[in-house]
Amino acid sequence: MTELLVVIVGLGVSGFLPALAAAGPSPVTVFLAPLIGAGMTAVAAVPELGVGGSLLAWYLVVALAANGAVAAWWLTARRFPSPADPRWGWSAATVAVVLGALIIPLAALRAPMIGWDANSIWLTHALMVSGGHRELLTGLENAAYRFSNPDYPPLVPAAGALAFALFGRGDLHVATGTTVLLNACALGVVGAGIAAVGSGGRQLTRIGAAAAGAAVCLAGFAVSGPFGVDGYADLLWAAAAAGAVIWGLVLPLGTRALAVAWICAAAASLTKNEGLTTALAVLVLIAFRYRPVTLSPLRELRTAWPAAREWAERAAFVALPALPGLAWAGLIRLRGIGDNFFSSSSAQSLVTRAGATAGGMAAHLAVVPAAAAVLLAGCCFARGDRERARLGNPAWLWAACLASLAIIFGTYVAGGYEIHVWLTYSVNRTTIFAQLLLYAELAIWLVVALDGAFTRERYPVLAGSPSSAGGLPAGGCSSGPAGSRSR
Amino acid sequence: MLNRRGRADTVGRVRLAGPVAGDGAPVRAGRRLVARRIGCAAIIVAAAVPLGLSVHHELQATAAFLRPASVERAAVADRQEECIYRTIRSDLPRGAAVYIDDPVHVQRLAELSTLWAVPQPGPATAQWTISLARDFHRPGDCFGLVLVVRRR
Repeated sequence: MTELLVVIVGLGVSGFLPALAAAGPSPVTVFLAPLIGAGMTAVAAVPELGVGGSLLAWYLVVALAANGAVAAWWLTARRFPSPADPRWGWSAATVAVVLGALIIPLAALRAPMIGWDANSIWLTHALMVSGGHRELLTGLENAAYRFSNPDYPPLVPAAGALAFALFGRGDLHVATGTTVLLNACALGVVGAGIAAVGSGGRQLTRIGAAAAGAAVCLAGFAVSGPFGVDGYADLLWAAAAAGAVIWGLVLPLGTRALAVAWICAAAASLTKNEGLTTALAVLVLIAFRYRPVTLSPLRELRTAWPAAREWAERAAFVALPALPGLAWAGLIRLRGIGDNFFSSSSAQSLVTRAGATAGGMAAHLAVVPAAAAVLLAGCCFARGDRERARLGNPAWLWAACLASLAIIFGTYVAGGYEIHVWLTYSVNRTTIFAQLLLYAELAIWLVVALDGAFTRERYPVLAGSPSSAGGLPAGGCSSGPAGSRSR
Repeated sequence: MLNRRGRADTVGRVRLAGPVAGDGAPVRAGRRLVARRIGCAAIIVAAAVPLGLSVHHELQATAAFLRPASVERAAVADRQEECIYRTIRSDLPRGAAVYIDDPVHVQRLAELSTLWAVPQPGPATAQWTISLARDFHRPGDCFGLVLVVRRR
């Protein structure tokens, strides 16, 4: 256990300055820092595979470059992180509540479980990455390792390889445990995001928001079952992508929220192939939320240059955070390394595959009716509260959820494996993102309603809303005041 | 919702009980506030129940993982894996080209061979064949599994 703490603290130290620069002195920084540190190991694995050398050497280069860039930015722009927030006590309490909740599932680390994929994929790749360029390249190209999906992104193997570099390869469980702790950190980012929804509200709202954030962290482990604590990477990409949705599509528009969302999306894209596709979808939605499209073709034609610039900005919003994940995917394809998912065509008809997939996925989405009911009730009774709090329109979150499900559905239908066997072994993991997102949606509405229920004469003041919120107009349950529409 | 006269009035999109008119703005505002609070309370309950159930589910799952029998089973599997990992390194020369002739344990043996032996996709290029056999009584067994190494 001490080794695991050293690894996660080490990752946190290397990622702390970038996390502080991105999120400022806020609760999410605590959970974001190790995730950034792990992202740095993944970025280091790209030149290890493409150029040569060892992970440790490249990791030092990446960590020094990232921290140096942040320090240089602070010095040149004179944008040091502001002194402690006046509500630092609440921030500390939020960290304590979310961390306290995460400790419960992490207690399972006392049972040294290592799952099937943790062995077949992640530990195999971690050993390859820790062996240096030649071992990594020959290992991934070796047809005998085809079962391990050699094209999978490198975040989990690279973080495990860093653990091996620190403590040797005698105890494989240290790499598995690192993955579990990273799962917890990614969920911590989600939990801190939900706590941030109520951070500007009254005391009861803040307590409720912190509790709701903690509950979502536990829900993340609950929907993952053993896969959250035995070294699988599915919860990691799902939680990171959910973090991107909460910070990029739900919390009020802002540079810090955007930076956290981008980091989360980058982490998801570097964790698994479905994480990359989902992160791309989420990034597209974030780009459209931050740079909305004007629905006036004539105006666009008249102002061609500004329109082109806007589209270039949207493209940059997607490409920039996805760059590390896309670089890995490109490098892997360039080397001719692939997996078995699409290598053969299925003998089953598309209708059979689609029907089985829909049934299989639906069985793991029991939370949908509850989330839909709360969405409807929320739109009827608390939409104005949500708009005044400047939270994103719930359609963004649902669009991200549906996009992810559509991608997963398409993969199952187009893939080559026998569909029933494939679903049996994977659909409980591929739907973690959607489930987690819907639990987060429940928690967000809960916080909004909690503040709304105790508001007498005005809309509540939640995350990012101006403290001088105006009075509650008549029929405040149905719609918000003009000019405060959710975006 | 209907009022005492069997009629309903509508405010925004929420239908509220009470007289249609004549009571003045304060009364209407008060009823709107009540409706709003009822709606918010319903949202809180509807959201809290699934969240609470999932928290309960997680507590139960963690308790199951930490049952003495589960911990012992995981510890044995962990030690077994570590034992096979060390046996591969002691029984095979470094860089040995091995063919894993064991469809059940092929992935496990390939993983544990990584960075020591080089698994081959077919037997033709292999110098050694390895497999795992169940045997609780052979010296050096790894909790019931023995690594069988054959030179080709």
